[in-house]
Amino acid sequence: MKKTKVLWLSAIACNGNTHSFLNYPFMEQFLEDFEFIYHPVIDSKYSLEDIVSKEITCDILLIEGAISKEFKRADVSVVKIIEKYSKIVQKIVTVGTCATFGGIFRESGYENTSGLHFDQDKQLKEFQYLRDKTISVSGCPVHPEVLVNTLYAIKKSITLKLDNFLRPKEFYAYTVHNGCTRNEYFEYKVDNHRFGELEGCMFYDHGCQAPFTHGSCNKILWNEVNSKTRAGLSCMGCTEPTFPKRNLFSTKKNMAIPENLPVGVGKRVYLTLAGITKAFKIDRLEKKLIDD
Amino acid sequence: MIKLIEKIEGEAKLNFNFKEGKIDFVDIEFMSTRNIENILKGKNAFDALVINPRVCGICGHAHLIATVQALESCYENLELSNKAKSIRELTLNFELIQNHFKWFYLTLFPLFGKKQEILKATYPSQLMAKAIAVFGGQYPHTSYAIVGGVVCEITHMDIIKLQHYISQTSKFVEDNLVKTDSKTFLTCKDADALLDYEGDLPDILREIKKMNLLGHGKSYDRFISFGQNSYFKKGKSLKTKVSHNISLEHVKESDIASSFAKNVSFKDEYYEVGPLARAMINKNQLIADAHKKYGDSIFSRILARVCEISKLLEHSKKLIDNLDLNEPSYIEPSMDISKLNSIGYSAVEAARGTLIHKVEIEEGIIKNYEIITPTQWNLSGGTKEKQGVSQKAMVGLDDVKTAELVFKSFDVCSVCTTH
Amino acid sequence: MLKKKENKKELIMQAALELFASKGFYTTTIPDIAASLKMSVGNMYNYFKSKDILAKEIIKYISSYLGNKLREINEQEISTKEKTRKIVEIYFKTASLKPEMIDYFLRIYLSNREVFKDSCEGMICVNEFVTEIMIYFEEGVKCGDLREQDFFSAFGLFMGYLGGMVFLKGENILPKDLNDYIDDIAFNIYKALSAE
Repeated sequence: MKKTKVLWLSAIACNGNTHSFLNYPFMEQFLEDFEFIYHPVIDSKYSLEDIVSKEITCDILLIEGAISKEFKRADVSVVKIIEKYSKIVQKIVTVGTCATFGGIFRESGYENTSGLHFDQDKQLKEFQYLRDKTISVSGCPVHPEVLVNTLYAIKKSITLKLDNFLRPKEFYAYTVHNGCTRNEYFEYKVDNHRFGELEGCMFYDHGCQAPFTHGSCNKILWNEVNSKTRAGLSCMGCTEPTFPKRNLFSTKKNMAIPENLPVGVGKRVYLTLAGITKAFKIDRLEKKLIDD
Repeated sequence: MIKLIEKIEGEAKLNFNFKEGKIDFVDIEFMSTRNIENILKGKNAFDALVINPRVCGICGHAHLIATVQALESCYENLELSNKAKSIRELTLNFELIQNHFKWFYLTLFPLFGKKQEILKATYPSQLMAKAIAVFGGQYPHTSYAIVGGVVCEITHMDIIKLQHYISQTSKFVEDNLVKTDSKTFLTCKDADALLDYEGDLPDILREIKKMNLLGHGKSYDRFISFGQNSYFKKGKSLKTKVSHNISLEHVKESDIASSFAKNVSFKDEYYEVGPLARAMINKNQLIADAHKKYGDSIFSRILARVCEISKLLEHSKKLIDNLDLNEPSYIEPSMDISKLNSIGYSAVEAARGTLIHKVEIEEGIIKNYEIITPTQWNLSGGTKEKQGVSQKAMVGLDDVKTAELVFKSFDVCSVCTTH
Repeated sequence: MLKKKENKKELIMQAALELFASKGFYTTTIPDIAASLKMSVGNMYNYFKSKDILAKEIIKYISSYLGNKLREINEQEISTKEKTRKIVEIYFKTASLKPEMIDYFLRIYLSNREVFKDSCEGMICVNEFVTEIMIYFEEGVKCGDLREQDFFSAFGLFMGYLGGMVFLKGENILPKDLNDYIDDIAFNIYKALSAE
């Protein structure tokens, strides 16, 4: 089978997606199936100068980093590079939250910095004609398996169902909360979380956004071993258009009621259930998980 | 002649000036910046723990540790358990190791006409990333180190898992990098003896010798290192004379007209930072021997960087053995950050050298944030009369290709430099 | 059929409420309630297996009644200030029209917690009512009208105040009609909770 040619283009980025990608466990197989015409770290047949000055045959354009026409690579505006390659490729993938929504570097001070199709959750007019070609794999960084398997889906001409932000539903229909080992503390409203412990849920006080963040972090584990919420760190909502929100380690509450509730769950439903579960004391969840 | 140096986590432009067939002066230019320091202004102080790892995809963890230490130094009497300190040190070690593998197999190999060894880079660095993820939940971009400790609790099973990652990585070193048992390599004191071993590192070292590059890439022979922990020592080294009495207040950052990167100096002099600097200040015998024979050349620089992998693996084993799991991972600060008005500093050793963070907080909000990255030290672009460390190292070379090798021996990180 | 049973249950609860208010909770028995409705005691047990169960059902009934009234207010597009007034109004109106309901809540539910310990823990049996109060608070803070604070410090202020007034009225201490106090009390509560 012919290798699929991929251009990995970094715009205003930290290269976090590049290095997250390098954590993909079956790299050998991947490199047999794909070839980078350019990659920030992996050697390629062409130099960046070749990429910007010529038009190299390519099947998939990957964009990492926030986009502004002011930002240049090898003296050429990234917007110009995107315009050129978007015409010849079969698909475009915005890799990570910066390329999708603007992310952290939306604030980097370049003129009109945003994602390719979205400025946070606002749909952009520029590049609208490319929407049908684009798949977004958001996340700061993207999960390597989410990226690589999306690339394989493109290679195999599989039509992926996408959400409103062009993200494959197979990965982003879940919430990060799905599969968290701290779920029971959430379900039964045991709200006395302290950092540094195996027990407790960070939703109530420490800003965990997992119940309203789309992603597979607790379904497809990170580095195949863990997730932030399992480790005891709040989900920072890094796959969403709103990333990064402010005051990330504390839960926004109105009269002690969390402002952001599990996605799709009405306030009345949530409060009713919370009121019921909170009335019960569940000893197993009140004590240490691994006790004497 | 101007050359675009690529795949250094971004690019830099080197403008080579030749005189009588030899490089006379090299102007270094970074073409962009991402204004992280501005992004931080006005944000809640703890948000820096989430934003700063995003300075860099390859050494973001060092930025996390630097951030948490800078924030902690804003407090008076903040309590931190030894366990939390050790865990932070471990995850930072793992990140350093990951970096060195990637640099060696992805950056250095092609410079010697070899094919990149992608799998040799990713296999051990994935193991190290897993080891970080055991504590931090994921790598890259965790924010697991918070003011007061770390968010995770560690069990005996986690320790066993970690030990496996480490021994598997050591085994990779023994099977590939230097084909001997780790103990022999770690106790080797003769740099030339390494040339007789099998393995990817000896291959490269032999290549350097064969190409007559043994003494190439020398700079000021002036080293500095501020990050201090249970392994690294703080200090400076001037032609093997080491002193430990140095202070961050003499570190100065200044703008340069021609580049987005800022210059960094200590008492108005440029110093080299990184694994070679750390080894000199730590008086590592193998590196001291290389330095004695070949000075602060690419030979010593490359050897020091790779050698650090084994040293850190070894030290990490000890740290794990000494972890007291009964200690708390996190001790809540007695003062709420929103009541804090203070200035804090930190210096940690990142893969490429000393990383400095400075934060100014007003009622828990960041008023000012300054970051000095290791590459800024090494790549400070001076004038012809007062050249930076890497500039000086390239002077006198015959060709641009060798100059690129010398330049990349500093393991340049463009994204960090253009934070 | 089911609806008919529900209606009958409601009738029984209403009768029980009135008897509890006039005779007292402990001295009122199931036969008393059956007698007041001209029902046989056996038939009565078809509806409620015990007095304790009846007691719990009644509190849920009241919570649901008030909860529905509050929900209507919460769903209106009006300011938090207006909502505050409407809540005070509906509470006092209920206290005037159905004094036995508020009386039951204050004198029986809150002071005989041992009756309500099984399956009525915490605020389960008054969930519908409390949920609507929570929504009123949450939305008030979110739109910037109310000051952020602990739920219970706000809840206590609101409900304690209203309960206190109804208690004073029950003791015949209030010189004026409850409705005459609505404006002032709504003003006081809003001022105390307001963000300004």
